[in-house]
Amino acid sequence: MTEDIKTTPPASVSPAEKDDNALGRRGFFRWMTVGWIAFSVATGGFFTVIVRFLFPNVLFEPPQTFKAGFPNDYASNFVDTRYKKKFNVWMVRDEESIFALSTVCTHLGCTPNWLGTENKFKCPCHGSGFRMTGINFEGPAPRPLERYKISVATDGQILVDKTKSFKWEKGEWENAESFLKV
Amino acid sequence: MENKNKKSFLERMGESQVWKSIIRSGVPRSRRQRMQAILGSVFLHLHPARIPKHAVKIGYTWCMGGLSFFLFIVLTITGILLMFYYRPTVEYAYTDIIDMTEQVPLGIMRELHRWGAHAMVLTVWLHMLRVFMTGSYKPPREFNWGVGVLLMTLTLFLSFTGYLLPWDQLAIWAITVGTNMARAHPFIGHEGPGASLLAIGDINLVHAGSDVRFALLGGRFVGEASLLRFYVLHCIGVPFIVMILMAVHFWRIRKDGGISGPL
Amino acid sequence: MLQTFKDIIDILSAPTVSFTLLTIAFPFVFPPTDWFEKIHRKFGICRLWTKPGFYGGMIAITFFFVVGYFDPNFNITLTKADNFPIILMIYSMFIAIWWSMYQAYQNDDRLENGLKPMEYNDPDDKVLVWPDLVYIEFIALILFMVFLIVWSILVAAPLEEPANPAATPNPSKAPWYFLGLQEMLVYFDPWIAGIIFPIFIIIGMMAIPYMDINKKGDGYYSFKERRIGMFIFMYGWVVLWLFLIVIGTFFRGPNWNFFGPFEYWDAHKVVPLNNVNLSEYIWVKMLGTGMPTNILLREIIGFIVLIGYMGILPIILAKSWLKNYFQEIGPVRYTFLMLFGLSMLSLPIKMYMRWLFNLKYIIAIPEWFFNI
Ligand code: HEM
Ligand code: FES
Repeated sequence: MTEDIKTTPPASVSPAEKDDNALGRRGFFRWMTVGWIAFSVATGGFFTVIVRFLFPNVLFEPPQTFKAGFPNDYASNFVDTRYKKKFNVWMVRDEESIFALSTVCTHLGCTPNWLGTENKFKCPCHGSGFRMTGINFEGPAPRPLERYKISVATDGQILVDKTKSFKWEKGEWENAESFLKV
Repeated sequence: MENKNKKSFLERMGESQVWKSIIRSGVPRSRRQRMQAILGSVFLHLHPARIPKHAVKIGYTWCMGGLSFFLFIVLTITGILLMFYYRPTVEYAYTDIIDMTEQVPLGIMRELHRWGAHAMVLTVWLHMLRVFMTGSYKPPREFNWGVGVLLMTLTLFLSFTGYLLPWDQLAIWAITVGTNMARAHPFIGHEGPGASLLAIGDINLVHAGSDVRFALLGGRFVGEASLLRFYVLHCIGVPFIVMILMAVHFWRIRKDGGISGPL
Repeated sequence: MLQTFKDIIDILSAPTVSFTLLTIAFPFVFPPTDWFEKIHRKFGICRLWTKPGFYGGMIAITFFFVVGYFDPNFNITLTKADNFPIILMIYSMFIAIWWSMYQAYQNDDRLENGLKPMEYNDPDDKVLVWPDLVYIEFIALILFMVFLIVWSILVAAPLEEPANPAATPNPSKAPWYFLGLQEMLVYFDPWIAGIIFPIFIIIGMMAIPYMDINKKGDGYYSFKERRIGMFIFMYGWVVLWLFLIVIGTFFRGPNWNFFGPFEYWDAHKVVPLNNVNLSEYIWVKMLGTGMPTNILLREIIGFIVLIGYMGILPIILAKSWLKNYFQEIGPVRYTFLMLFGLSMLSLPIKMYMRWLFNLKYIIAIPEWFFNI
C-alpha cells in the first residue's frame, strides 16, 4: 500500500480522468485518520468524564486538627485513649516525648484496642499487634502505626494536626514535628 | 346448543375472547396446545417446549439455578419495598432500619430481604457445585460457566454492599476493611505496590485523594458519601449488570443445546 | 465423658491440627490416583458415599451441633442469627456433595460395565415442559418461599450497635461468605489476599473449562473419569474455601485468636506471635550479619524462592513428572494451570510457614508496599 502511494506521483492522474466527487486513496486515508482520531478522542473523553466524576473536588470531612490538653496532663509511659473516640488518635507519652498515634490499623484500617496489661495495641480484625511506640510486631500489619503532626499552640495546649502523618518506614519519626520533647 | 351448556366453566373461559387474546392456545390440553403454552408466553419460552427426561429430575439440577433466579426476583421486590422507608444517610440509616421493623405492621420485609440474600449466596454456590459435579461446564458450555462465575461474584458483591446499609457496627467495619483492600491495589491504590512509580517528578499521582479507594468511598474516610455510593451500587448499579448477565446466561443455556446431558 | 469429647474436639479443631488432618485425609476421600483409590476401597472410606455414609455424616454433624447447643460457650456462636446460614451451608454442602458422589459412584459402576449413565434417555423420548417441568418449578418455588417466610418470622434480622468509627467490635468478622478471604488476609499482605487472589479465583474459575480438556463426564455425575480435576477443585472448594469459613465462624475469637468451639472466649488470651521475615531469618539468624541496606540484596533470597516456585518449578515438572500431561495440554494451558494451581497451593504453604516458623513475609519491602 505505502509503496503504491510513494510511486504514484500526483501529477500522473490526468485532470480529465479526475472525478471531483470520488474520494482518492489518499483522501480516503486522510478521512480514515480523522475519523479514528475523532472516535478515540470521543470515547477517551467520555471515559475520562466518567472516571473524573467519581472524584469530587470538595469533601465534607470532619475537622482534622484538635487541641489535646497540656503536656503536663500526660503521665510518662502512658497511653491516653481520651481522644480515640472523637479524633481517632492515641496520645502516648514515653520516657522523653509525647506523640499522637493514629488509631487506624495499618493492615486494613480497623481500630486496635490498647491492652494495658500486655502493653500492646491489639487489632480485633486479623490480630495485628503493635507496641506502645506503634511498632508492629505480630499479625499481618505490614508497617507501624502512623504518627500525626504535633506542636504546642500559643495557649500552651498541644495541637494535633491530622493532615500530616509521619511513617516510620520512611524514617519520618525522626522529624521534629512528629513528637514533642518533654 | 345443548352441547355447549355442558362445557365446564374452565372450558368456556378458555374459549372466551378475553382469554384467547391473552393466551392464544386456550387451556392446554392436547400435546400441541401444551407446547404452544410454552412457546406463546414471553416468560415461559425461556424454556424449550420439550426437554430430555433427566432434565426434569430434581436429582439432576437440584433446581438451584432456578431458585437463584427466583430469589433474585424476591430480593428485587422486597428491596423495592425497603426503599420506601430507608434513607441512605449516616443520620437516618440506622433509625430507619429500626423503624421499618418496629413501626410497620407485619414487618418481616427486612428479614425476607436479608435471609433471602443469604439463601441466594447458598443456592448460587450449590448451583455452581452441581454444574461442576455434572461436568456441565465442558464444551460447548464453557462461556456460560464464565458468565456464571461473574454472576456469582456479583451475587457476593450485592450481598456485601447490602450488608453496609444498616450502618451498624458490622456495616462500618466491613466497609472499612473491604475498601482498605482497594487501597492495596497494585498501581491504582495508594498503598499498593507500584503506586509510587506513577509520579511526575516528586508529585505522586496516586495518593489517598486519587486512588480507587477514594473512588469507592467518595472521600478519604468512610462516611456519608460512601454510604450513598454503596447504596446506589446496591440498588441499581450491580442489579443492572446482574440482570444483563442473567439474560445472557439464560439465552446461552438454550443456545448451547439446553440442559447438559449424556450423549 | 462429654467433657473429654469436648476437649478432644477443641484440640482437634486447632487449625494446625484440623487443617492438616483434612488435607491428609482428602486424597483418600476423593482419590486422585490408583494408589489412593486402593486404600480408599480397602479401608472402606468409599462407604462414605453410600447410604450408611450419608446417615453417619448427618448424625455426626447434628451431634456436633446438638452438643454445641447445650454448651455454654459454643451456644453463643451457634445461636447468633447471622451464623444460621453457615449451619445451613454445612448441611446443604454435605448433602450436595454426598448426593453427587453417590450418583457418581453408581455411574462409574455402570460405565465400567459398559452401560450408559443413569441420566441417559433416548434423545427422541422427550417430555413436555408444560406441565412436567413448569409444575416442578412451581412447587419448588412455593416450598422455598414457605421456608423463607418461616425463617423470617422465627429469626429476626440482626442489627448491631450503631456504627462507631472509634471502636471495632472484638472479634470483628466479615460476612460469613467472605470469611475465607478474611482468613487469607491473616497470612498474606492485603494486595495479595485482597486483590490478586480474588482476581485469580475469579479468572481461574472462569478458566476451568479451558484448562480441563478431559471430554469425559459431561452431563452426568461421575468421578473416576475425571478424578484429578475433581480432586483439585474439591480441595480448593471444600478445604480452602468452605473450611476456612468454618474456621472463621467457629474457631476465631477475640483478637482473632484461635479458640476451640467449646472454649471460653477470653479476650486476654495471650498467644505469642512474633513474626519474622525470611530476610531476617537469613541475614540475622543464619548469617549473623546485619540486614544489608540495599533493598534488593536484602530480599534476594525471597526473590529466588519466588521465582523458583512460580517460574522454575513448573518447568522442571513439565520435563519430569508432568511430561506426558504437558504434551497433552500444550504450553499455554499448562502455563495458566500452573499459575492458578501454584497460587492456590501457596495458601496452605504460607499458612504452614506461619504456624511452624512464624514466617511473615517471603519478600518484605514495606518501602514499596511490596510484601509477599
Ligand atoms: C445469579 C446466579 C445464577 C443464576 C440465576 C443461574 C441460573 C441458571 C439456571 C436457571 C440454569 C438452568 C439449569 C439449572 O437450574 O441448573 C443454569 C444453568 C447453568 N449455569 Fe447458572 N445461574 C447462576 C450462576 C451460575 C454460576 C455461579 C455458575 C458457575 C460458575 C453457573 C453456570 C451454569 C452453567 C454452565 C449452566 C448450564 C448447565 C447445564 O446445561 O447443565 N451459573 N443457570
Ligand atoms: S485491620 Fe488490623 S489486623 Fe487487619
